[in-house]
Amino acid sequence: MNPLPRPILFLLLTLGLLTPRLLAGPGTEAEVRHDLVLTLLSHGPERHELLHQLARSGSKVAASVLTSWTRGEIYAYRTPGGKTIPVTLEEQEDAKGLARAIRIDTGAVLVDAKGKALKFDDSTLDTIDTDMRLRMDIQQAIDVLSLASPVPDERRSAAVKLGNSGKMAYLPYLEERLTEEKIADVRRTIEEAIATLKLGSSDPSVQIKAARNLARLNALGAVDVLTQFVANKSADPDALAAARIALRSIQEHISLVNFFGTLFRGVSLGSILLVVSLGLAITFGLMGVINMAHGEMIAVGAYTAYLVENIFGSGITLPFFGFGLHVPGLHATGSFYESNFIFAIPASFVTAAIAGLVLERLVIRFLYRRPLESLLATWGVSLVMQQGFRMVFGANNVQVDSPSWLLGHFSIDDVMFGYNRVFVVGFAIAIVLGTWLLLTKTPLGLLIRSVMQNRRMASCMGVRTDWVNMLTFAFGSGLAGLAGAFLSQIGNVGPSMGQTYIVDSFMVVVVGGVGSIVGTVYASLGMGSADQVLQQVLGSPVLGKIIVLCFIILFLQWKPGGLFATRSRNLD
Amino acid sequence: MIKKLPKLLGVGALALSALVGSARAEDTVKVGVLHSLSGTMAISETSLRDVLLFAFDQINAQGGVLGHKIEPVVVDGASNWPLFAEKAKELLEQDKVPVVFGCWTSVSRKSVLPVFEKDNGLLFYPVQFEGEELSKDIFYTAEAVNQQAIPAVDYLLAQGVKKFYLIGTDYVYPQTTNLILYKYLLLHGVPIQNIGGGLRKGSDGKVMSAGKYVPFGYTDFQQIVADIKQFAASGDACVINTINGDSNVPFFKQIVAAGLSPSDCPVVSFSLAEDELRSMPTRNLVGELGCWTYFQSLKTPENKAFLKSWNAWLATENYPGVVKEHRVVDSPMVLSYDGVYLWKAAVEKAGSFDVDKVRKVLESGTISFDGPGGKITVQGDHYTTKNVYIGETKADGQFRILKTFDQVAGAPFILKGLGVQLAAKGM
Amino acid sequence: MRSERSRFELWFLALFALVILVILPGLNAFTSAASALHVSDFTINLYGKYLCYAVLAISVDLLWGYTGLLSLGQCLFFALGGYAFGMYLMLMIGKLGQYHSNLPDFMVFLGYPRLPAHWVPFRHFWFAALAVMWVPGLVAYIFGFLAFRSRIRGVYFSILTQALTYAACLMFFRNDFTFGGNNGLTDFKFVLGYDLRSAATQRVLYLLTGVLLFATYGFCRWLTSSKFGKVQRAIRDSENRVLFSGYSTPNFKLFVFVVCAVIAGLAGALYVPQVGIINPSEMATDKSLEVIVWVAVGGRGTLIGPIIGAIVVNAIKSWATRAFPDLWLFILGGMFILVVLFLPGGIVSLPERLGELARKFRRARAAVPEPVADSAEAKPAPEPDRT
Repeated sequence: MNPLPRPILFLLLTLGLLTPRLLAGPGTEAEVRHDLVLTLLSHGPERHELLHQLARSGSKVAASVLTSWTRGEIYAYRTPGGKTIPVTLEEQEDAKGLARAIRIDTGAVLVDAKGKALKFDDSTLDTIDTDMRLRMDIQQAIDVLSLASPVPDERRSAAVKLGNSGKMAYLPYLEERLTEEKIADVRRTIEEAIATLKLGSSDPSVQIKAARNLARLNALGAVDVLTQFVANKSADPDALAAARIALRSIQEHISLVNFFGTLFRGVSLGSILLVVSLGLAITFGLMGVINMAHGEMIAVGAYTAYLVENIFGSGITLPFFGFGLHVPGLHATGSFYESNFIFAIPASFVTAAIAGLVLERLVIRFLYRRPLESLLATWGVSLVMQQGFRMVFGANNVQVDSPSWLLGHFSIDDVMFGYNRVFVVGFAIAIVLGTWLLLTKTPLGLLIRSVMQNRRMASCMGVRTDWVNMLTFAFGSGLAGLAGAFLSQIGNVGPSMGQTYIVDSFMVVVVGGVGSIVGTVYASLGMGSADQVLQQVLGSPVLGKIIVLCFIILFLQWKPGGLFATRSRNLD
Repeated sequence: MIKKLPKLLGVGALALSALVGSARAEDTVKVGVLHSLSGTMAISETSLRDVLLFAFDQINAQGGVLGHKIEPVVVDGASNWPLFAEKAKELLEQDKVPVVFGCWTSVSRKSVLPVFEKDNGLLFYPVQFEGEELSKDIFYTAEAVNQQAIPAVDYLLAQGVKKFYLIGTDYVYPQTTNLILYKYLLLHGVPIQNIGGGLRKGSDGKVMSAGKYVPFGYTDFQQIVADIKQFAASGDACVINTINGDSNVPFFKQIVAAGLSPSDCPVVSFSLAEDELRSMPTRNLVGELGCWTYFQSLKTPENKAFLKSWNAWLATENYPGVVKEHRVVDSPMVLSYDGVYLWKAAVEKAGSFDVDKVRKVLESGTISFDGPGGKITVQGDHYTTKNVYIGETKADGQFRILKTFDQVAGAPFILKGLGVQLAAKGM
Repeated sequence: MRSERSRFELWFLALFALVILVILPGLNAFTSAASALHVSDFTINLYGKYLCYAVLAISVDLLWGYTGLLSLGQCLFFALGGYAFGMYLMLMIGKLGQYHSNLPDFMVFLGYPRLPAHWVPFRHFWFAALAVMWVPGLVAYIFGFLAFRSRIRGVYFSILTQALTYAACLMFFRNDFTFGGNNGLTDFKFVLGYDLRSAATQRVLYLLTGVLLFATYGFCRWLTSSKFGKVQRAIRDSENRVLFSGYSTPNFKLFVFVVCAVIAGLAGALYVPQVGIINPSEMATDKSLEVIVWVAVGGRGTLIGPIIGAIVVNAIKSWATRAFPDLWLFILGGMFILVVLFLPGGIVSLPERLGELARKFRRARAAVPEPVADSAEAKPAPEPDRT
């Protein structure tokens, strides 16, 4: 893992996400390698014993070698002296398709008498074969090995696997691990695994205890096992009753998890809608310009994030109308590279704002009094921009890597919170707050509001309405750019990415009430939650969306001006 | 500007007549290329156009077909299905091409099919599809379901996977594939509750659709991934992913965010090849599975030679619109390429470009080509026999090959057969 | 001026009708393929498609150019008409499909036991032919009733129609909606027993489309020149004044909306057998916007403009997607921006605008020694507010 900026590192540490590297199990690496070679070269039943021994070592080396073995990537190299050395080939190949060999016994590169690295084509070496029975043993050893892996996630998934294997043979390994395990989350999984295994015991008292434990742990993973257990009528009646109670309790837990999960997902989807449509709320709501190229402004922001990431990295060559424009890179590494997204956010705002500025000067300013035509002209702009993206960045979608601090999630009682989803909620709050401050607490905001409320009078008072229009539009476009920077973290970055969001963002603004920022906030959160709830209830992602759209059409019957209609005596 | 208009028109007319004139050379044969070069499908289809141009140049450099140089007629279907039909008509009726290479989506194939049947054309179709079709005018170099989904499931079953979550984009290929897999899994002893994603039953209680479906371009996978996470909580689960194109990026980003690692719950994808992986966060997706009849990482001499000359061609070509940077090769591209050579072999054997003669030769089952992905042979029923590979993704967006199924014959209409087998077992 | 223009329009139309209805099909039917004058089946088919588009464009113009209602969902009605007729064509395939079953192919492999009830009446041609009109009409009536009653107008109306068509599009994309999902309806074979693939049938369909076009034109010309048309234009220019004069504007608008939906449905019904496929992407919002481009380019509020626009833009599209596939969207988008900004009257207004420019240029030359006027900088003439 790359080093993280200090404050984030601290945060993660306090959250208990990083732990000091666990001590390796018994045996040094040299001993493990020795055992490995013995295992690889032996035949017959002693292999079984040797694998057992390796399994207890908890060694990473053993795990990776054994994994390669099951894939048939361990080869037997015969020295001129007639000795056999097990080797594996490096992934890196030279121009001739040859690769260097790594000795299993030392971990070093295999060299000839003169100390020159030997190179092989995989077809010229003999693999050390495995049969099905052996592969099962190896797999078992690998599973147990990963139970001692230094990565908590791997330990957890190993525990799940062992727990559901139904093999009592794993029980001692798991119990041994439980005494050493320090991370609560993994402990819980191991306990679950132990209880799941014990449910398969033949002793009813052990079964009852196991079922109670599963209920106490709210073991989501045990639903299948419990369901099967309950269906088995020949089991002990007391154990059956305990299992039924456990199953019911876990199912109640699941519906609770789903409820809170849906709540959070609704808020996070609402926040995405909010981020996406806030720019439109400015340009459409305040200025009355129907900007169909709003989606493309989002794409401008996303492509900016892509460029910034590559500038921090090793640079990029863009097709650029077939000329091959090279953008040099900074070759940043570590936390500096990881911070590229922090720089990408303001950069996206600026580029999209500039794009908006240009669009306003070239097209929009002629159309302030003809909103319907602004819709048409900006649709033309949107087509041109989409094709422009294709010519500049290529027709394919481009890839934007997420910084490691936005990857992953944390869980509170099985409700999952993705970091990027939590981030977008905060991001939305920040943007709305910023917009509100700009509109109400700054001189520019005052000018914007005055022009929007009564252009002519503002003009009479000496406000340069032309100039204010330009800045407002640029600001709205900049907000779209911010949305693009964020969307690059959760979705596609491509020429037509903007199209995905355009209908939704218009809906949000119309439902919220044109010209009302508060309305936009309510509308986006409402639509996001409705979508997620319907999806959960109906079990179909698209039906929910259709129902939301129909509901909006009906809603506007009731409140044609949206949630927060601007009151005016004007008829139009 | 206005004054210049007549002049401009004149230039345009001249250019047009030049275009028409150049097409009149005697020693060439016109060949149709029908792909979307604009619109939503351009993302995928432009690469096929490129590899076809490469194949034509390669063949022309070796003297062409029957002594005729190939002259490609490239038209843009613009991701618009009626336009596909119009363009197919134009190619067959105006340009009178003896063969067309093209189409990606099932719907584009369906829209041109009546045109090919009416005008007696020949189409080579290169992209994995549902296999519920046989037309005398189409040759399917593409993977049928039993050359992709079924081997992948066989592999997973052998690996000890017990639970399968089916998810796809709501169109005919995922619907059919998932329905086939649903029946196939039942036949192989997977209990019905271990097949995730939901089932939809018809009025007679028969399952009409298995799995979870999202619309095209869907972006919000929070709920579905949470569902998968619960499904996979008991381990030994996998996801069978037939999501198409764009939506894969948000799907996998959400998978990564939810911490569903390939060791917990591998995702095997049927619509993600090297070309699509270029826009994916592959760094975080190491170990997910793919199944195709070609991988760029194949180490055969044919593939090495192919990649070498492809890269050399990219460096020197100057066709407008062909991107040179960051190019990879994937199965649909290679199957397009194979199609050209299969057609060439058939034409040479028939000694004529005549559609009926070429078709007859192709149907004889003797036409094969040692392509980059291994030997490919045209079957009598217009499907093709080829190798199938299972691979896992690496950080660089390439695949490590895990298993090879040699020379699998493509089979049409397997859905019905599976249904009969299930009924025989009383399921 | 006015009469001069309409006389010109009349002559133009008569000539156009002669070419479309007599000369082209005549050359197609009665000359041999080798003849230089021969018009190929391909061309006939292509023009048939353009004529359908022209009818659709007229319906948009009646709505937008004459009543001021910019609907972004007109293609929904077009597609509904297409689907209604497509269902009939689908059932006429009989046992010639991939599965040799009486059911459409997609129903067979999705395991439908029998034809869904709402498909059954479409076995009858006359039911389908009427459904082509009443289905889009009914949808338009319900939506229009709700929208106009609550006085949704201007851009809100546009955005709502967009939502409607988007929702419908998502609905039709669903495979369990019994309309074939993304693949739509395709592989048609017969209409009323005639082979759809034969040149003669296609020629008849082409002629029918031509007749529909001129009938629609005539109907709209009559409607707009009647008293009704005056009210219509009054609504466009200032709805409130019309309302205060005692007219029930919602009813007027509803009537026009439904009429336009029916016209679009008819165009869709003739379109489907000619192109051979109908799928939900036909009702996507950008398709409707494209129709608006045709109308704007041709010249809205003129009835002749949309016909010219639809044919010109689509001819350019057919050509550009072959000659410059990479540039097609630049051409379409650029054309649109330029027309909206600099030529609000469209192609139809070109002669007038050119005359105007020439006069201005002459005047400028007479006034100032240095001529500065340049066509590229011409500002659009100030327009009355049309919201």
